[in-house]
Amino acid sequence: MHAKDTTCFAVSVVGADRPGIVAGITEVFYRLGCNIADSSCAMLAGEFAMILIVSHKKPFTKAHLLEELKPVCDRLEMTLSVRHLSSSEEQRAETAGEICQITVYGADQPGIVYRVTSALAARRINIMDLQTKLAGSEEEPVYIMLLEAALPEGIIPEEVEQLLSGLKQELQVEIGVRIITPVEL
Amino acid sequence: MAVQTILKYPHPLLKKLARSVVRLDDEIKALLQDLLDTMEAGPGSVGVAAPQIGVGLRVCVVDVSKSRHGKDNNHGRLLMVNPEIVERSGCAVMREGCMSVPDYTGDVERATEITVRFLDGQSEEQREIQASGFEAVAIQHEMDHLDGILFLDRVVSIATGLFRRKNYR
Repeated sequence: MHAKDTTCFAVSVVGADRPGIVAGITEVFYRLGCNIADSSCAMLAGEFAMILIVSHKKPFTKAHLLEELKPVCDRLEMTLSVRHLSSSEEQRAETAGEICQITVYGADQPGIVYRVTSALAARRINIMDLQTKLAGSEEEPVYIMLLEAALPEGIIPEEVEQLLSGLKQELQVEIGVRIITPVEL
Repeated sequence: MAVQTILKYPHPLLKKLARSVVRLDDEIKALLQDLLDTMEAGPGSVGVAAPQIGVGLRVCVVDVSKSRHGKDNNHGRLLMVNPEIVERSGCAVMREGCMSVPDYTGDVERATEITVRFLDGQSEEQREIQASGFEAVAIQHEMDHLDGILFLDRVVSIATGLFRRKNYR
């Protein structure tokens, strides 16, 4: 994904939302000549979170990046974390098996995320994306979880449904599994 | 007979409206053969449109008969000149990938059943077929190339389709 002569960092920034966070952070990357390879931002309650993979031509150090980001994050009252990625981490492993979208929803209760994800982890099913929302009313909160998972080669979606059917009973939640493996056109 | 190079975005031809074919002559037949050769050479490819190999004409080929999703429901090899969708119904989302946009895939909503009219490159006659399922998706995807539309233009949301209601009235 990246050329050999570049170095990569995972940067995350979290803090109370306000106008100018994205502009403030990306100005630093622009000024330093960093490329934003991948990024995702989310707002949960009033907390704004950014996670970015940035790259820069070597030589370039984590210390230098931190030194430039720190004053901006202090001014915006955001917590900052920077991690240097080794070249093996930059390459995302291709998955051989199917990709599934798993939808779980039902009356809110402790342990929905934990119980479902630990059942998946026990079968070496890798979660690639996960989002949850608390919906419904205050009296009757409904928990919604949407996740995307890569199945190890040989595991079919029906097995995942089977695997989760016990939880469906026990937690009284709806669980749906559908294949979303991309089609090549 | 030749496998052609697939153009990749941001090549400008991929965003241009392709011209209608006036006559099914030897030039168009050679183009159809190139499209077939290129499709068969592409890993798992089920279709190629002329703009993808650098020709701005309304010609495309589709064949889902060897693919997992289309093997039980298809019309075999389709050589389509000036194709037109005359009817469409239903809708379903599939995660699509395209040889002209490598490394990315996106969720696209398309009609599940379509009626397509085209000049058949094999029989050299007008033909109308009803396609459904994956074949319908593939035809719509290839026909989009004739209008300069990439799946990226149709991606609904990169993150999720579920949003909190802003206000209740």
